Amino acid sequence: MAIGAGVIGSVLGLGGGIVIVPALTILFGVQMRTAVAASTVSIIATSTGAAVAYLRDRLTNTRVAMWLEMGTSLGALSGALIAGYLHQRFLYIMFGLLLAYSGYNMFRTRKAELPGEVVPDRLSRKLNLAGSYYDRMLGQRVEYQVTRTIPGLIIMYFSGAAAGLLGIGAGIFKVPAMDQVMRMPFKASTATSNFMIGVTAASGAVVYFARGDVKPLVAGPVVLGVLVGAVVGARLMVRMKTSTIRKLFIPLIVYTAIEMIYRGVRG
Amino acid sequence: MTTETHREEPAKHEAIELVLARLLRIGSIIAAALLAAGIGAMLLGGHAVVGPRLITAGLLALMATPIMRVVVAGLIFTRDRDWRFAFFCVVVLCSLVAGVLLGHGHGG
Repeated sequence: MAIGAGVIGSVLGLGGGIVIVPALTILFGVQMRTAVAASTVSIIATSTGAAVAYLRDRLTNTRVAMWLEMGTSLGALSGALIAGYLHQRFLYIMFGLLLAYSGYNMFRTRKAELPGEVVPDRLSRKLNLAGSYYDRMLGQRVEYQVTRTIPGLIIMYFSGAAAGLLGIGAGIFKVPAMDQVMRMPFKASTATSNFMIGVTAASGAVVYFARGDVKPLVAGPVVLGVLVGAVVGARLMVRMKTSTIRKLFIPLIVYTAIEMIYRGVRG
Repeated sequence: MTTETHREEPAKHEAIELVLARLLRIGSIIAAALLAAGIGAMLLGGHAVVGPRLITAGLLALMATPIMRVVVAGLIFTRDRDWRFAFFCVVVLCSLVAGVLLGHGHGG
Protein backbone atom coordinates (compact mmCIF):
# COMPACT_ATOMS: atom_id res chain seq x y z
CA MET A 1 0.00 0.00 0.00
CA ALA A 2 2.69 2.47 1.07
CA ILE A 3 4.93 1.55 -1.87
CA GLY A 4 1.99 2.14 -4.22
CA ALA A 5 1.36 5.53 -2.65
CA GLY A 6 5.03 6.38 -3.14
CA VAL A 7 4.93 5.41 -6.81
CA ILE A 8 1.75 7.42 -7.47
CA GLY A 9 2.96 10.43 -5.51
CA SER A 10 6.36 10.59 -7.15
CA VAL A 11 5.07 10.15 -10.72
CA LEU A 12 2.35 12.78 -10.35
CA GLY A 13 4.18 15.26 -8.10
CA LEU A 14 1.64 14.88 -5.32
CA GLY A 15 2.00 14.07 -1.66
CA GLY A 16 0.06 10.83 -1.72
CA GLY A 17 -1.97 11.82 1.36
CA ILE A 18 -5.03 11.18 -0.78
CA VAL A 19 -4.15 7.45 -0.65
CA ILE A 20 -2.45 7.14 2.74
CA VAL A 21 -4.93 8.88 5.04
CA PRO A 22 -8.03 6.90 3.97
CA ALA A 23 -6.04 3.64 3.81
CA LEU A 24 -4.72 4.03 7.35
CA THR A 25 -7.98 5.20 8.91
CA ILE A 26 -10.40 2.92 7.06
CA LEU A 27 -8.34 -0.23 6.42
CA PHE A 28 -6.11 -0.22 9.48
CA GLY A 29 -8.32 1.61 11.97
CA VAL A 30 -5.62 4.18 12.78
CA GLN A 31 -6.71 7.44 14.46
CA MET A 32 -7.13 10.43 12.14
CA ARG A 33 -4.42 12.52 13.84
CA THR A 34 -1.91 9.68 13.64
CA ALA A 35 -2.81 9.03 10.01
CA VAL A 36 -2.42 12.68 9.01
CA ALA A 37 0.93 12.87 10.84
CA ALA A 38 2.19 9.69 9.13
CA SER A 39 0.99 11.02 5.78
CA THR A 40 2.77 14.34 6.30
CA VAL A 41 6.08 12.61 7.03
CA SER A 42 5.57 10.38 4.01
CA ILE A 43 5.14 13.47 1.80
CA ILE A 44 8.77 14.22 2.68
CA ALA A 45 9.63 10.63 1.76
CA THR A 46 7.93 10.97 -1.64
CA SER A 47 9.68 14.26 -2.27
CA THR A 48 13.14 13.21 -1.10
CA GLY A 49 13.08 9.73 -2.63
CA ALA A 50 12.05 10.90 -6.10
CA ALA A 51 13.95 14.20 -6.22
CA VAL A 52 17.34 12.51 -6.61
CA ALA A 53 16.40 11.04 -10.00
CA TYR A 54 14.60 14.21 -11.14
CA LEU A 55 17.50 16.47 -10.18
CA ARG A 56 19.94 14.26 -12.09
CA ASP A 57 17.78 14.41 -15.22
CA ARG A 58 17.34 18.19 -14.65
CA LEU A 59 13.59 17.70 -14.69
CA THR A 60 13.39 19.71 -11.48
CA ASN A 61 13.72 23.42 -12.07
CA THR A 62 15.42 24.48 -8.83
CA ARG A 63 15.15 28.20 -9.57
CA VAL A 64 11.42 28.01 -10.24
CA ALA A 65 11.11 25.85 -7.11
CA MET A 66 12.89 28.38 -4.86
CA TRP A 67 10.86 31.26 -6.28
CA LEU A 68 7.55 29.46 -5.80
CA GLU A 69 8.45 28.03 -2.39
CA MET A 70 8.27 31.60 -1.08
CA GLY A 71 4.60 31.56 -2.06
CA THR A 72 3.81 28.14 -0.63
CA SER A 73 5.59 28.62 2.68
CA LEU A 74 4.19 32.12 3.27
CA GLY A 75 0.77 30.84 2.19
CA ALA A 76 0.92 27.89 4.57
CA LEU A 77 1.95 30.23 7.35
CA SER A 78 -0.91 32.66 6.77
CA GLY A 79 -3.32 29.76 6.24
CA ALA A 80 -2.45 28.44 9.67
CA LEU A 81 -2.76 31.95 11.16
CA ILE A 82 -6.26 32.67 9.84
CA ALA A 83 -7.54 29.09 10.05
CA GLY A 84 -10.00 29.84 12.81
CA TYR A 85 -11.56 32.89 11.16
CA LEU A 86 -12.67 31.51 7.82
CA HIS A 87 -15.63 29.56 6.62
CA GLN A 88 -14.22 26.10 5.89
CA ARG A 89 -17.22 25.01 3.82
CA PHE A 90 -16.88 27.99 1.53
CA LEU A 91 -13.17 27.28 1.12
CA TYR A 92 -13.73 23.64 0.25
CA ILE A 93 -16.25 24.58 -2.44
CA MET A 94 -14.06 27.36 -3.83
CA PHE A 95 -10.91 25.23 -4.05
CA GLY A 96 -12.96 22.30 -5.34
CA LEU A 97 -14.34 24.39 -8.21
CA LEU A 98 -10.86 25.70 -8.97
CA LEU A 99 -9.58 22.12 -9.22
CA ALA A 100 -12.50 21.09 -11.40
CA TYR A 101 -11.65 23.94 -13.77
CA SER A 102 -7.97 22.99 -13.97
CA GLY A 103 -8.98 19.35 -14.45
CA TYR A 104 -11.07 20.46 -17.44
CA ASN A 105 -8.13 22.45 -18.82
CA MET A 106 -5.85 19.48 -18.41
CA PHE A 107 -8.36 17.29 -20.23
CA ARG A 108 -8.40 19.70 -23.16
CA THR A 109 -4.61 19.56 -23.50
CA ARG A 110 -4.33 15.83 -22.74
CA LYS A 111 -2.73 15.02 -26.11
CA ALA A 112 -0.01 17.66 -25.96
CA GLU A 113 3.44 16.23 -25.28
CA LEU A 114 5.08 19.64 -24.80
CA PRO A 115 3.77 23.20 -24.58
CA GLY A 116 4.21 25.19 -27.78
CA GLU A 117 6.24 28.34 -28.13
CA VAL A 118 6.22 30.22 -24.83
CA VAL A 119 7.31 33.84 -24.58
CA PRO A 120 8.89 34.46 -21.16
CA ASP A 121 7.75 37.52 -19.23
CA ARG A 122 10.23 40.12 -17.97
CA LEU A 123 10.55 38.77 -14.46
CA SER A 124 11.10 35.24 -15.72
CA ARG A 125 13.98 36.52 -17.84
CA LYS A 126 15.38 38.57 -15.01
CA LEU A 127 15.30 35.61 -12.62
CA ASN A 128 16.67 33.32 -15.30
CA LEU A 129 13.91 30.74 -14.86
CA ALA A 130 14.17 29.05 -18.25
CA GLY A 131 15.25 25.44 -18.10
CA SER A 132 16.07 22.41 -20.14
CA TYR A 133 16.05 18.70 -19.55
CA TYR A 134 16.81 15.51 -21.41
CA ASP A 135 13.56 13.64 -22.09
CA ARG A 136 14.32 9.91 -22.13
CA MET A 137 10.97 9.12 -23.69
CA LEU A 138 11.33 11.58 -26.57
CA GLY A 139 15.07 10.96 -26.79
CA GLN A 140 15.85 14.67 -27.06
CA ARG A 141 16.72 17.73 -25.06
CA VAL A 142 13.74 19.90 -24.24
CA GLU A 143 14.39 23.57 -23.68
CA TYR A 144 11.61 25.63 -22.27
CA GLN A 145 10.68 29.11 -21.12
CA VAL A 146 8.60 30.08 -18.12
CA THR A 147 5.98 32.82 -18.16
CA ARG A 148 3.40 34.49 -15.86
CA THR A 149 5.91 34.46 -13.03
CA ILE A 150 3.91 36.63 -10.63
CA PRO A 151 0.51 34.90 -11.15
CA GLY A 152 2.34 31.60 -10.54
CA LEU A 153 3.65 32.90 -7.22
CA ILE A 154 0.19 34.13 -6.20
CA ILE A 155 -1.39 30.76 -7.00
CA MET A 156 1.32 29.06 -4.94
CA TYR A 157 0.49 31.37 -2.07
CA PHE A 158 -3.13 30.18 -2.17
CA SER A 159 -2.04 26.58 -2.67
CA GLY A 160 0.07 26.86 0.48
CA ALA A 161 -2.82 28.54 2.29
CA ALA A 162 -5.15 25.70 1.22
CA ALA A 163 -2.71 23.17 2.61
CA GLY A 164 -2.44 25.16 5.85
CA LEU A 165 -6.21 25.67 6.15
CA LEU A 166 -7.62 22.38 4.94
CA GLY A 167 -4.67 20.07 5.44
CA ILE A 168 -5.03 18.71 1.91
CA GLY A 169 -4.03 19.52 -1.63
CA ALA A 170 -0.35 20.37 -1.43
CA GLY A 171 0.66 19.07 -4.83
CA ILE A 172 -2.62 19.00 -6.68
CA PHE A 173 -2.68 22.81 -7.11
CA LYS A 174 1.03 23.15 -7.84
CA VAL A 175 1.15 20.95 -10.90
CA PRO A 176 -1.64 22.76 -12.82
CA ALA A 177 -0.21 26.14 -11.77
CA MET A 178 3.15 25.36 -13.36
CA ASP A 179 1.72 23.41 -16.28
CA GLN A 180 -1.22 25.61 -17.26
CA VAL A 181 -0.37 29.05 -15.92
CA MET A 182 3.42 29.22 -16.14
CA ARG A 183 3.39 27.00 -19.25
CA MET A 184 6.15 24.64 -18.12
CA PRO A 185 6.36 21.14 -19.66
CA PHE A 186 4.18 18.72 -17.71
CA LYS A 187 7.06 16.53 -16.59
CA ALA A 188 9.04 19.53 -15.34
CA SER A 189 5.90 20.65 -13.49
CA THR A 190 5.37 17.35 -11.66
CA ALA A 191 9.08 17.02 -10.84
CA THR A 192 9.30 20.59 -9.53
CA SER A 193 6.08 20.14 -7.53
CA ASN A 194 7.53 16.94 -6.09
CA PHE A 195 10.67 18.86 -5.09
CA MET A 196 8.67 21.63 -3.41
CA ILE A 197 6.16 19.62 -1.36
CA GLY A 198 8.87 18.23 0.91
CA VAL A 199 9.72 21.65 2.31
CA THR A 200 6.19 22.65 3.37
CA ALA A 201 5.55 19.15 4.70
CA ALA A 202 8.73 19.32 6.79
CA SER A 203 7.51 22.23 8.91
CA GLY A 204 4.14 20.50 9.39
CA ALA A 205 5.87 17.25 10.27
CA VAL A 206 8.05 18.93 12.92
CA VAL A 207 4.88 20.28 14.56
CA TYR A 208 3.15 16.87 14.52
CA PHE A 209 6.31 15.31 15.89
CA ALA A 210 6.49 17.80 18.76
CA ARG A 211 2.83 17.07 19.59
CA GLY A 212 3.59 13.35 19.71
CA ASP A 213 1.32 12.49 16.79
CA VAL A 214 4.08 10.79 14.82
CA LYS A 215 3.78 7.20 16.07
CA PRO A 216 6.92 5.23 15.09
CA LEU A 217 5.00 1.98 14.74
CA VAL A 218 2.56 3.48 12.23
CA ALA A 219 4.76 6.06 10.51
CA GLY A 220 7.91 3.90 10.30
CA PRO A 221 6.65 1.17 7.94
CA VAL A 222 4.51 3.61 5.92
CA VAL A 223 7.38 6.04 5.39
CA LEU A 224 9.85 3.29 4.47
CA GLY A 225 7.35 1.91 1.94
CA VAL A 226 6.71 5.34 0.45
CA LEU A 227 10.46 6.02 0.22
CA VAL A 228 11.02 2.80 -1.75
CA GLY A 229 7.96 3.53 -3.90
CA ALA A 230 9.18 7.04 -4.66
CA VAL A 231 12.59 5.83 -5.86
CA VAL A 232 10.89 3.28 -8.15
CA GLY A 233 8.24 5.79 -9.28
CA ALA A 234 10.82 8.39 -10.26
CA ARG A 235 12.66 5.87 -12.46
CA LEU A 236 9.37 5.02 -14.17
CA MET A 237 8.30 8.63 -14.64
CA VAL A 238 11.39 9.82 -16.53
CA ARG A 239 10.65 7.16 -19.18
CA MET A 240 6.92 7.79 -19.38
CA LYS A 241 5.02 9.74 -22.00
CA THR A 242 3.65 13.07 -20.84
CA SER A 243 0.21 12.12 -22.12
CA THR A 244 0.26 8.95 -19.99
CA ILE A 245 1.11 10.92 -16.84
CA ARG A 246 -1.63 13.40 -17.67
CA LYS A 247 -4.15 10.59 -18.07
CA LEU A 248 -3.23 9.39 -14.57
CA PHE A 249 -3.43 12.90 -13.17
CA ILE A 250 -6.85 13.83 -14.57
CA PRO A 251 -8.95 11.23 -12.65
CA LEU A 252 -7.15 12.15 -9.41
CA ILE A 253 -7.78 15.87 -9.87
CA VAL A 254 -11.45 15.20 -10.70
CA TYR A 255 -11.80 12.92 -7.68
CA THR A 256 -10.23 15.50 -5.36
CA ALA A 257 -12.43 18.26 -6.79
CA ILE A 258 -15.60 16.21 -6.18
CA GLU A 259 -14.42 15.22 -2.71
CA MET A 260 -13.73 18.86 -1.77
CA ILE A 261 -17.04 20.16 -3.14
CA TYR A 262 -18.85 17.32 -1.38
CA ARG A 263 -17.20 18.16 1.93
CA GLY A 264 -18.13 21.80 1.47
CA VAL A 265 -21.76 21.11 0.60
CA ARG A 266 -22.22 18.53 3.34
CA GLY A 267 -20.49 20.81 5.85
CA MET B 1 9.70 26.09 -26.95
CA THR B 2 12.66 24.97 -28.98
CA THR B 3 13.58 21.32 -29.00
CA GLU B 4 16.91 20.16 -30.29
CA THR B 5 18.23 16.69 -30.69
CA HIS B 6 21.25 16.21 -28.48
CA ARG B 7 22.33 12.74 -27.51
CA GLU B 8 24.94 13.64 -24.94
CA GLU B 9 24.25 14.30 -21.28
CA PRO B 10 23.71 17.93 -20.30
CA ALA B 11 27.05 19.58 -19.68
CA LYS B 12 26.66 23.35 -19.39
CA HIS B 13 24.69 23.63 -16.18
CA GLU B 14 25.29 24.91 -12.70
CA ALA B 15 26.20 22.20 -10.25
CA ILE B 16 23.40 23.07 -7.81
CA GLU B 17 21.18 20.17 -8.95
CA LEU B 18 23.95 17.64 -8.41
CA VAL B 19 24.86 19.00 -4.97
CA LEU B 20 21.22 18.90 -3.87
CA ALA B 21 20.76 15.44 -5.40
CA ARG B 22 23.70 14.15 -3.36
CA LEU B 23 22.34 15.77 -0.19
CA LEU B 24 18.87 14.28 -0.68
CA ARG B 25 20.32 10.89 -1.51
CA ILE B 26 22.43 10.83 1.65
CA GLY B 27 19.39 11.92 3.68
CA SER B 28 17.11 9.24 2.25
CA ILE B 29 19.73 6.49 2.58
CA ILE B 30 20.34 7.32 6.25
CA ALA B 31 16.59 7.50 6.91
CA ALA B 32 15.87 4.25 5.05
CA ALA B 33 18.70 2.41 6.84
CA LEU B 34 17.52 3.57 10.29
CA LEU B 35 13.88 2.74 9.50
CA ALA B 36 14.75 -0.70 8.13
CA ALA B 37 17.00 -1.44 11.14
CA GLY B 38 14.27 -0.32 13.53
CA ILE B 39 11.54 -2.35 11.85
CA GLY B 40 13.91 -5.32 11.69
CA ALA B 41 14.66 -5.03 15.41
CA MET B 42 10.93 -4.93 16.17
CA LEU B 43 10.18 -7.96 14.00
CA LEU B 44 12.96 -9.96 15.65
CA GLY B 45 11.45 -9.00 19.01
CA GLY B 46 13.23 -8.57 22.30
CA HIS B 47 14.18 -4.95 21.58
CA ALA B 48 11.11 -3.11 22.82
CA VAL B 49 13.12 0.11 23.25
CA VAL B 50 15.70 -0.07 20.48
CA GLY B 51 13.28 -0.59 17.56
CA PRO B 52 11.02 2.44 18.06
CA ARG B 53 14.06 4.62 18.83
CA LEU B 54 15.76 3.64 15.59
CA ILE B 55 12.53 4.34 13.67
CA THR B 56 12.16 7.73 15.36
CA ALA B 57 15.77 8.56 14.47
CA GLY B 58 15.03 7.60 10.86
CA LEU B 59 11.92 9.81 10.76
CA LEU B 60 13.87 12.73 12.22
CA ALA B 61 16.64 12.28 9.65
CA LEU B 62 14.02 12.39 6.90
CA MET B 63 12.33 15.49 8.36
CA ALA B 64 15.65 17.33 8.55
CA THR B 65 16.54 16.61 4.90
CA PRO B 66 14.28 19.16 3.11
CA ILE B 67 15.18 21.86 5.63
CA MET B 68 18.88 21.17 5.04
CA ARG B 69 18.09 21.32 1.33
CA VAL B 70 16.86 24.93 1.63
CA VAL B 71 19.91 25.86 3.74
CA VAL B 72 22.37 24.31 1.27
CA ALA B 73 20.58 25.90 -1.71
CA GLY B 74 20.86 29.25 0.08
CA LEU B 75 24.59 28.72 0.64
CA ILE B 76 25.13 27.81 -3.03
CA PHE B 77 23.22 30.90 -4.21
CA THR B 78 25.28 33.02 -1.80
CA ARG B 79 28.52 31.49 -3.11
CA ASP B 80 27.41 32.27 -6.67
CA ARG B 81 26.54 35.83 -5.57
CA ASP B 82 22.98 35.19 -6.70
CA TRP B 83 21.62 37.48 -3.99
CA ARG B 84 18.00 37.42 -5.11
CA PHE B 85 17.74 33.66 -4.83
CA ALA B 86 19.74 33.59 -1.59
CA PHE B 87 17.13 36.02 -0.25
CA PHE B 88 14.30 33.73 -1.44
CA CYS B 89 15.87 30.89 0.57
CA VAL B 90 16.00 33.10 3.68
CA VAL B 91 12.30 33.99 3.25
CA VAL B 92 11.40 30.29 2.95
CA LEU B 93 13.48 29.37 6.01
CA CYS B 94 11.98 32.19 8.10
CA SER B 95 8.42 31.18 7.29
CA LEU B 96 9.25 27.53 8.02
CA VAL B 97 10.64 28.46 11.43
CA ALA B 98 7.66 30.74 12.09
CA GLY B 99 5.29 27.92 11.10
CA VAL B 100 6.97 25.51 13.49
CA LEU B 101 6.95 28.05 16.32
CA LEU B 102 3.32 28.80 15.66
CA GLY B 103 2.58 25.15 16.19
CA HIS B 104 0.07 24.65 13.44
CA GLY B 105 0.41 21.71 11.09
CA HIS B 106 -0.09 21.72 7.39
CA GLY B 107 -0.39 18.52 5.50
CA GLY B 108 -0.96 17.65 1.95
